[in-house]
Amino acid sequence: MNWSDTLQSIFTVTLLASTIRVSISILLAGMGEMITERSGVLNIGVEGTMLMGALAAALGSYFTGSPWLGLLAAGLVGMLVGLLFSFIAISLRSNQSITGLAIYLLCVGLSGYLLQIIFEHGGNSPMVNTLPSLHMTFLENVPVLDPIFNDQPIIAIPVLLIPVFLQIVFYKTPWGSWLRAAGENPKALAVVGKNPVKIRYVATLCGSFLAGIGGAYLSISQTSLFSENMVAGRGFIALSAVIFGGVRPGGVFLACIFFGFMDALQKTLQTVIPDTMMPRELFMALPYLLTLLALAGFIKKSGGPADIGNPYLKESR
Amino acid sequence: MHTIRKFFLKRQPVFITIIAVALAFIVVGFILAATGRNPFNAVYYFVRGAFGNVVNTSDTISRVIPLTIAGIAFLIGAQCAVFNVGIEGQLLLGAMASAVVGYIVKLPFYIHLPLMLLAGALAGGLYGLVPAWLKTKRGVNEILSTIMLNYPATYFTHFLVLKVIPIVGVVPATPFIEDTARLPILIEGTQLHAGVFVMILVVIFAYFLLYKTSLGYEMRAVGYNKTAARFHGIPVEKRMNFAFFLSGAMAGLAGAVEVAGVHYRFLDQFSPGYGYDSITVALVGLLNPFGVIISATLFGALKTGILEMSVYSGIPRQLTTLINGIVVLCVAAKDILGGWYARIFRGKDTYEAEKEISQ
Repeated sequence: MNWSDTLQSIFTVTLLASTIRVSISILLAGMGEMITERSGVLNIGVEGTMLMGALAAALGSYFTGSPWLGLLAAGLVGMLVGLLFSFIAISLRSNQSITGLAIYLLCVGLSGYLLQIIFEHGGNSPMVNTLPSLHMTFLENVPVLDPIFNDQPIIAIPVLLIPVFLQIVFYKTPWGSWLRAAGENPKALAVVGKNPVKIRYVATLCGSFLAGIGGAYLSISQTSLFSENMVAGRGFIALSAVIFGGVRPGGVFLACIFFGFMDALQKTLQTVIPDTMMPRELFMALPYLLTLLALAGFIKKSGGPADIGNPYLKESR
Repeated sequence: MHTIRKFFLKRQPVFITIIAVALAFIVVGFILAATGRNPFNAVYYFVRGAFGNVVNTSDTISRVIPLTIAGIAFLIGAQCAVFNVGIEGQLLLGAMASAVVGYIVKLPFYIHLPLMLLAGALAGGLYGLVPAWLKTKRGVNEILSTIMLNYPATYFTHFLVLKVIPIVGVVPATPFIEDTARLPILIEGTQLHAGVFVMILVVIFAYFLLYKTSLGYEMRAVGYNKTAARFHGIPVEKRMNFAFFLSGAMAGLAGAVEVAGVHYRFLDQFSPGYGYDSITVALVGLLNPFGVIISATLFGALKTGILEMSVYSGIPRQLTTLINGIVVLCVAAKDILGGWYARIFRGKDTYEAEKEISQ
């Protein structure tokens, strides 16, 4: 096999289609975390929120038979986790990083524990019903777009539109300016009569909702079961994407797609390049290393909100 | 009355942490009850599993060793404003490096054992320098970078035992290390090994470094307030880099001690999450080297107790991670307890008056 053949078998439209497929969960979690971080809250527990979302979706789909109810359950459970985080990090003003870490550990443990308690056999849930994929007849005869966008999971298209929606909300609506003010200078926001604590709560809950959905995508769309620790670091990759993308909708979107592309590429390379030449384990480490490399190379120190990570003290007079 | 108050006020952080941990276990009890498991039954099997007989007790102690050393690793970082969540990965690499040194060469005991422990520490320390560079030179949040660096370390050691190092037995592992690289067993028939002395040395070293040297003083100054430390002329980045290295080195040492004292080889997936437990251990130990031993005992007991518990009372072993999360959450939220605590032991009037003054 010569090099051009190899390259041709790697860079196909299928690669782009699978880029979209693997990007969705990172994109959902990343967009959610971006909203949260814009309000001045750093939620390192996204990974855990996604795990609980994935479990809730699988359970919802398993017990009701409807994957849509599973999706709803994932969003709600995500918000519940977000509420716990918000109460401790925002209301009790604990260290946000440590609280996020605790949430992550708690969710890893709780999802694994509940999986064992409910199904009583190791590692996996039974197969559950999954969300349908979307077939658009009008795309059938369009050459490149058809294999990329057609027959994608049904939530793919709306998810790809979230960045556009958030761009408008962030920069064209009063809610967006309040949200950004809560992250830049909460005291100034309080002066004009808005409550930064409330805004941070809402932003964290929105973010956790999306992270829960992102987890659900993994268990009831990309696969059809919940397995222990199935999020496998995607939450942390999403966190990196938010930083990498400068906490702006467009930037974060591109960062998520970039990381998704790397993951898809890594999976394709695994099938094309023989194990003896380049072992599978090293490919699996690639997304994490590339993410860190991206962070190291392109991080902008002025990217994020000014007041991120700091608790807001109402009574400081 | 006055002396009692004084006693409780002086030890406020200790008592609040104890209350927070107790609260966490009450929450765990409710979770057990809510999922149809009897929490009292669980406690019975837990205590029996952790301390029921000589073998179990010595197993508990042998788990306290890696937990304490790894806890010290987290503590050294955290005292210098470095949250090293990558201990698991550093521990794996340290264990791998020490196992390789342990089986590849043949040396006299007094050279071989220290050399293999040193190799473990060095491997962990060097891996700790990666997030150090990312943090101090590129401004990458270290929690994010260290947690992600755990994955490559896991895959890399996995790759080594599966595809590079020839497999001897049925399980993926390195060959056994030479006798000269092993920590001797202290009580015949148990897992209690001479790593206890390594652990004690590490604790004394950490205490001495942090509280009795100017280097440790500067590291703690960075931990308290980076800006103030910088104004005092302390090279903040240098101290943080050193904390990353030392934290990683301790993590690597913890892995090396496990290899030299328990498994005698690098066994794939040998660590039951010691790296993640170390965070809980250090936080509950109030980031104090001697406190870490006490909390490591608690969590070491938890680790052995949970085994018997999962066999006899049908409680999944994932409960340990769940307990970790809840304990860290309660410890993180303990400041609210501080307010109540001060109210009770200072007396309501004094408390209100002092609050007025402090504002």
